[in-house]
Amino acid sequence: MHIPDGFLDGKTAIASAAIATVGLGIAIRHVQQTFSARRVPLIGLAAAFIFAAQMLNFPVAGGTSGHVIGAVLAAVILGPSAAVLVMSSVLILQCLMFADGGITALGANVFNMALVAPFTGYTIYRLVCRVLGGTLRAKLTGIAFASWCSTVIASIACAGELALSGTARWNVVFTAMAGIHAIIGLGEALITSLVIVSVARLRPELLQESAELEAKPAYGQLLAYGLIVVLGLVLFVAPFASAWPDGLEKVAEALGFSGAAMQQAVANSPIPDYQVPGVGSSVISNILAGLLGTLIVFVLSYVLARLLTSKSNSTKSLT
Amino acid sequence: MNAIEVRHLSYSFVNGTDALKDISFNVAQEERVGIIGPNGAGKSTLLWHLNGLLPERHLKNPAVTVLGIPVVQANLALVRAKIGLLFQNPDDQLFCPTVWEDVAFGPQQLGKCEPELSTIVNNALNKVGLAGLRGRSTRHLSQGEKHRACLAGVLACEAQILVLDEPTSDLDPRGRREVISLLRGFVQTQIIASHDLEFVVEVCPRVIVIDSGQIVADGATSQILNDEELMLAHGLERPHILRHQHPHQSNNLSNRLNH
Amino acid sequence: MRLRLDDPYVNRQSIIHRLHAAIKLFAALGIVITTIALPRSAWPAYCVIGIALVVIIALSRLPLTHILKRLALLEPFVLVVALLSLWQRDGVLVFAGLVTKGTISLFTMIILVATTRFSDILRVFWSMRIPNVLVTTMSLMYRYLFLILDEMTRMTRARASRTFSPGRWLTWHTLADVIGHLFVRTSERAERIYAAMCARGWKT
Repeated sequence: MHIPDGFLDGKTAIASAAIATVGLGIAIRHVQQTFSARRVPLIGLAAAFIFAAQMLNFPVAGGTSGHVIGAVLAAVILGPSAAVLVMSSVLILQCLMFADGGITALGANVFNMALVAPFTGYTIYRLVCRVLGGTLRAKLTGIAFASWCSTVIASIACAGELALSGTARWNVVFTAMAGIHAIIGLGEALITSLVIVSVARLRPELLQESAELEAKPAYGQLLAYGLIVVLGLVLFVAPFASAWPDGLEKVAEALGFSGAAMQQAVANSPIPDYQVPGVGSSVISNILAGLLGTLIVFVLSYVLARLLTSKSNSTKSLT
Repeated sequence: MNAIEVRHLSYSFVNGTDALKDISFNVAQEERVGIIGPNGAGKSTLLWHLNGLLPERHLKNPAVTVLGIPVVQANLALVRAKIGLLFQNPDDQLFCPTVWEDVAFGPQQLGKCEPELSTIVNNALNKVGLAGLRGRSTRHLSQGEKHRACLAGVLACEAQILVLDEPTSDLDPRGRREVISLLRGFVQTQIIASHDLEFVVEVCPRVIVIDSGQIVADGATSQILNDEELMLAHGLERPHILRHQHPHQSNNLSNRLNH
Repeated sequence: MRLRLDDPYVNRQSIIHRLHAAIKLFAALGIVITTIALPRSAWPAYCVIGIALVVIIALSRLPLTHILKRLALLEPFVLVVALLSLWQRDGVLVFAGLVTKGTISLFTMIILVATTRFSDILRVFWSMRIPNVLVTTMSLMYRYLFLILDEMTRMTRARASRTFSPGRWLTWHTLADVIGHLFVRTSERAERIYAAMCARGWKT
């Protein structure tokens, strides 16, 4: 999901860099104000740890392989602000030490993988815990589901940025990105929950500390990240996902596309994925297909959590 | 005034196991004391206490006094400036990207600025013979160089007491010899925890034996390390360097080694 | 592993290597921005930038094969994203433009990375008033990255040596166990580093 240089135009690069800077600024302030000095080295080492974990490949269908992003892992273990800091550091180092991910796309990459992914992941994880209760099974369901969702949402943000830059048509880039990451996200979900189970068995008190952090969540910070993430998604994704043709036309005009071309792009998708036959508008069918897929993943997450909790009784101490 | 006084120090870990039980001893200034004992005896825990790194339960009634200063929260900065602690794993201690930055870390925290800072850092690097490697990345050092870089970092803090945790572990014979000759050249008070008993014989005239968090012996190195029964009872052994000496000669040996 | 981690030429001596890291960083940024801002079919301009980059490579005494090898590792990502652009009007033209811009930018960044130590870039960050917490995080990350990667390699190797019939589920489990262990060891190391920092007078 690392966008290379040359694929974002000026306005997208600048807008995403500005949003990423503000989001990272909030995270830095929060960490400076509330974190004890003891956790500062941990944040630096966690960044190295996430980088290392990203080097491990897991098998994806068809002989290809993917790797974990680790945003939800970082957010669950260290809290959202530290996760933002950790993921941003990873991306900056990958860009300036390994030329992986463009320097002009750094803002967009930070927004997708260091803001959208940890924030949406953390929020979904907390929501699931709120609904299902604080048991280990609920936590693992939340972690697995949040990992999948955050991966897919981050890839959609990435698709929006590419489409807004005029690099590729929205429906092509959306189908490709969301489709691939819906599969990679399953791997992310499986690995993240297995890792949490493994840590819970080895050193449960490490997760205890994050549980203490959760006990007094900084709603102000979460709200701020929420605003930033929503602002970014509205800028990069909403123009395309909008179901109102008027709005679409306006955006298309603003971007210099012809309105007709845009409408056609949305209507006749050349790769007709994500479509439930019998539903008229492709936008609505996309949404329905997406919801159905999300529901299935949620059920899968619950099944996975059941499997993991019934197998390892020793992890009960986490609850 | 003693360099270090420890009075009835007890400590237990968060999970309830007792790490140290009623430890008391004094170390005079410029003395070199070895601390030996089996794995898990509490050596590292004891060393961390000297620097106030595990002070949670001793704030009201300080058990450790360093150069007359009780080790309590308010005095930590003062105490840490007097005591230089060398950690077991040099990689934990060398946390800056380059050797120079790492050695400069301590003095910078103590408020030293250029040009004084450069003088201090260069002096420390000269003392351990690493002047040529000041710009080197800390991860491109040999194990021996890492140990010496750590020592330079401790020396740069201008501490009067050096507390060293396993300074010769995982060193090759040459690296080990280098550390031995360095330590014997320093005038500072030294407290050294080690499993390397031959090294202890060469460097420390006095040893304290710890087992299960308690002091089981405290006295002249030549006597204690020659006591085969005591050594074996506490998971240690009589070092070879003493086996080749007649018991009556051992005092001469440690004298010779120390002067 | 996807990338060859340690750049073997970063400690070489050349005019380019000796330049201040800040100059190189902003020069690279300038070249990349210029390339991106050029119109899609500004072929002569692309050629000029390309020639300039080759001159810089010659000045920095980097073997061209090394640069090309790195390019070969990273170029697939450029190509895959660029492929998506084919499904539109004048797709081939857009594709050609994107690949050219992407490749030139990648060339620039590879030269930057091969001639500039990350520790020097960190020093630029320190002087740029970037918040302390962020630079400290990156600095610690850079310092311990290779140690943690080594630890990870040793663990995977040890696991592999005792894995006799690798099944799907076991593969996932092993992977997660390695990552879990790695995290536990990492946080224990963080505790010891914190102690070492405190022992040398670190205050926040």
